[in-house]
Amino acid sequence: MTRATSPSRRRLLALVPAAALALSLTACSSDATSPGTADPAAALDTPTTLTFWTWAPNLDKTVAIFEQKYPKIKVNIVNAGQSATEYTKLQTAIKAGSGGPDVAQIEYFALPEFAMSKRLVNLKEYGAAGLEPKFTPSAWSQVAVGDGIYAIPQDTGPMAMFYNKKLLDQLGIEPPKTWAEFETAAIKIKASDPKRFIASFDPGDAGGLDSLLWQAGSRPFQQKDATSVSVNLQDPGAKKVADMWTNLISRKLVDPVPGWTNEWWQSMGSGQYAMWITGAWAPGNIVSTIPDTAKDWRAAPMPQWNAGENVTSENGGSAVAVPSTSKNKAAAAAFAIWLNSDPEAARSLSENGLFPATTKLLGDPAFLEKPLASLGGQQANQVFAASSAGVGKGWGYLPYQVYGNSVFKDTVGQSLATDTNAGLVAWQKRIVDYGTQQGFKVTTP
Amino acid sequence: MSTSNPPAQATTDRPTGRSRRASRSDRLGHGSFGYVFFAPFLVVFVIGIAAPLAYAAYLSLFQDRLVGGNVFVGFDNYTRALGDDLFRAGLWRVTLFLLVQVPVMLGLALLAALAIDSGRLRWPALFRIGIFVPYAVPAVVASLMWGYLYGDRFGLIRQIGDALHVDVPRLLSDSWMLTSIGNVVTWEYVGYNMLILYAALRTVPQELYEAAEMDGAGEFRKAWSIKLPALRPALALTTVFSIIGTFQLFNEPNVLQSLAPDVVSTSYTPNMYAFNLAFNGQQFNYSAAVAVVLGGVTAVVAYAVQVRSMRKEQSL
Repeated sequence: MTRATSPSRRRLLALVPAAALALSLTACSSDATSPGTADPAAALDTPTTLTFWTWAPNLDKTVAIFEQKYPKIKVNIVNAGQSATEYTKLQTAIKAGSGGPDVAQIEYFALPEFAMSKRLVNLKEYGAAGLEPKFTPSAWSQVAVGDGIYAIPQDTGPMAMFYNKKLLDQLGIEPPKTWAEFETAAIKIKASDPKRFIASFDPGDAGGLDSLLWQAGSRPFQQKDATSVSVNLQDPGAKKVADMWTNLISRKLVDPVPGWTNEWWQSMGSGQYAMWITGAWAPGNIVSTIPDTAKDWRAAPMPQWNAGENVTSENGGSAVAVPSTSKNKAAAAAFAIWLNSDPEAARSLSENGLFPATTKLLGDPAFLEKPLASLGGQQANQVFAASSAGVGKGWGYLPYQVYGNSVFKDTVGQSLATDTNAGLVAWQKRIVDYGTQQGFKVTTP
Repeated sequence: MSTSNPPAQATTDRPTGRSRRASRSDRLGHGSFGYVFFAPFLVVFVIGIAAPLAYAAYLSLFQDRLVGGNVFVGFDNYTRALGDDLFRAGLWRVTLFLLVQVPVMLGLALLAALAIDSGRLRWPALFRIGIFVPYAVPAVVASLMWGYLYGDRFGLIRQIGDALHVDVPRLLSDSWMLTSIGNVVTWEYVGYNMLILYAALRTVPQELYEAAEMDGAGEFRKAWSIKLPALRPALALTTVFSIIGTFQLFNEPNVLQSLAPDVVSTSYTPNMYAFNLAFNGQQFNYSAAVAVVLGGVTAVVAYAVQVRSMRKEQSL
């Protein structure tokens, strides 16, 4: 999955042997020569071997279609670790100038960091600019860094509210439509059993809070140009979110524990958590980790701040980029473009568990009306597509978001039950200090 | 290099046996032949220890910024490290850990060693292996295992407590975390330390015990007047090892972090801080400075303890 922090361990483990095999296969692959052409069509007709670092599940199926279509290109898929693990390796390989992949999966939050340090190829040189209409505006805005296009969006995670329908029906609670109703529901759930919570809140996951800030209209991270950024975790949206969750957590209506642990999944499976507000990629994880009770889960729109609105945000999601050290840039760019924008490829990605970033697929009736077996046959793609359409505009990440996210647990994570807003102040300070240290001009309100 | 002969002796040897071989080794200087034997160690030492240390020290004099690139900054990183609250808090935390956990662990190890040596246990070999086995469990696995036991909702300890209607504290909470880590570390290393102490006890000559018995000493008197003094060098050794291990505390808190991210921060121990600076913050230079300072502190404390224990030994 393309979530920022916690991996789905099972899936990761399953990929290990494949990755090891792929690694051994690619040991001598990147020397394959390719003429120095910027013409993607010509590059696709030249025998080339591409190395592709990704941890997305089942990508080999889509790659197989590509290889069938362009038999001269061979793509080796390597799982070089998930999220931060991959980024560390990628930074090192690019710095060393060799040993890196031709194509790499990078999450949206980490993309500015790589793009800004000139570690990625500007795909405008390979005709990526014309692809803009194919993608959702929020996905596209996240790969457009500065005046370049540094990756092609692969999947997105429009926010939704997953809820345990069986439990809510039993308690006579309707899925809350607003955050105010969410609190009322939380109180009812607590009253039914002191061990139950409406949801959990992960003190180690910056991405989870980011999505809530994003929805509430907060825009804490903005990059102005290559050397100056602004940080504002104290705007009205941020304070609104902080106050709400401190209230819920301090009254023990929401459980401040890390997600994705064994305990957390047990709580999800045993009905101790009634809801999970997260990206549209969740159903696959629910069905693979708690298969026995997965049929009880359904998707509903994310609760709103104002009744009747449809303002949402995203959580997670990845793009595919070409590192500047690739020796096969044209072929790599052509592959990245095909993989994520070709209709056949987009459909294949979606069938294999990735939530689409292309508008065509998001509007396709066959996609929208497909009953999701992982959510008891619900046509949940309609909920997700509506969320995708409502994603708030203008969200951005810092050119050092990977570091910023890593100190989230040191600051906000420690203050959830007492004063989340004080945690936001501390987080902002760490982010500003680091940025200044790194030579940025950091402005705060 | 204490095996090489003094040069004076080499010159007196010269008139006696002269072969081509001998003359060549003379030209190199008699003592230099020792370097041939010394070389394998030297190569490994330079590549494995000296070079990385020198490289870390070299790195610590620069700053590689995202904006502005790599610049020489002299001792700026060190000034910053010495005034860094996060680093200091981490150092204080492991110092506290050192003051409580190491005496408890060594005390238990000492008790176990004395118990096995007393000859009054029924199956001493089983006892010995049983205590030692946790040391064979990798620290990461041990921490994961204890992490599951500590779990607040489905952890075994909590469930036993619930069954017995005992209110178990939240073992992964802020106020209990250091104790919980201490328990894991103690569990892992009691056996290792016990083995060192037990080996030292085995070297005590039997006659001493016989003489003591003649003088009417019981088991406790023998332990107090013979065994404990005999254990002094071994205790000093285990103490120094434990000090170094404590300052380098990393695996246990790092694994438990995934279960309690709001308690175990990225700077929980100095070693974790250095790791996170380098791999999450790309601040390899500052991380190197922190590591060098940490190494310095460890060396000073370990050396002070060693000198103190050596003095005591001499004064006996």
